Amino acid sequence: MWQYEKKLQYPVNIKNPNPALAKVIVSQLGGPDGELGAALRYLNQRYAAPCREVQAVLSDIGTEELSHMEMIGTILYQLTRNLSMKEIKESGFDVYFVDHTTGVYPIAASGVPFTAATFQSTGDAIADLNEDLAAEQKARVTYDNILRLADDPDVRDPIKFLRAREIVHYQRFGEAQRMVQDMLDSKNFYAFNPSFDK
Amino acid sequence: MAMLNEKQQLMRKIQNESFALVEAHLYLDSHPTCPMGLKYFAQHKKEYDELMEEYAQKYGPITVGQSDTEKKWSWVTAPFPWERGES
Repeated sequence: MWQYEKKLQYPVNIKNPNPALAKVIVSQLGGPDGELGAALRYLNQRYAAPCREVQAVLSDIGTEELSHMEMIGTILYQLTRNLSMKEIKESGFDVYFVDHTTGVYPIAASGVPFTAATFQSTGDAIADLNEDLAAEQKARVTYDNILRLADDPDVRDPIKFLRAREIVHYQRFGEAQRMVQDMLDSKNFYAFNPSFDK
Repeated sequence: MAMLNEKQQLMRKIQNESFALVEAHLYLDSHPTCPMGLKYFAQHKKEYDELMEEYAQKYGPITVGQSDTEKKWSWVTAPFPWERGES
């Protein structure tokens, strides 16, 4: 089970609304490598993990991703306060606004709504952990791209924090992958050991 | 960064300690017998618990278990963290 803590993992206090920036940052909420997909990926994969350490890594990183989803939601909320219709039209935010007003909705910047089709839960720890390593790198690239697009230090600061977390999670998943690989048959050099029909 | 008021300063301290715990926690998941990691977690947990208690007393609950049950349900009278200045 989960318990909500009424605090952000890292502070988000944005002075200047910027709907054009919200339109790209929303991808880290509902896009292909966003925080919602990350949380759902790890929290659903964990049942197939073959040892307690890997069960813990998936549970705890999955949980941290939920707090990152909250930080992205907060960034979007603060970037879209007190907008005039002129700002909405001129920024290109109108295509989001027409369906969601300024509500926070999980969608990719390209306009594709959040979908579980962007991740897997294969029931096989080796396959899942290899996906998880790639997922952390892809999310890191998206944060790099957001940093290329965003000038406002109030936005860059929490985005830099989130980017750094992708790097730490990659490290922890690497250890989890090594642990599972060490549990495989010693003659299995190629890291396949179907977990279903053993 | 604008000057932080006392409440915000205390929240920053909690976020710092909380972050130390998250980092140590994930590390210990894959290194469960590391004596330095265990010691680091225990030290920061103590500091974190004290700060959480201080914050709840002064500014309102962070967890639902800290909510006031005598006069009013303070969980709903203190602001949520997505408001500017509340994190």
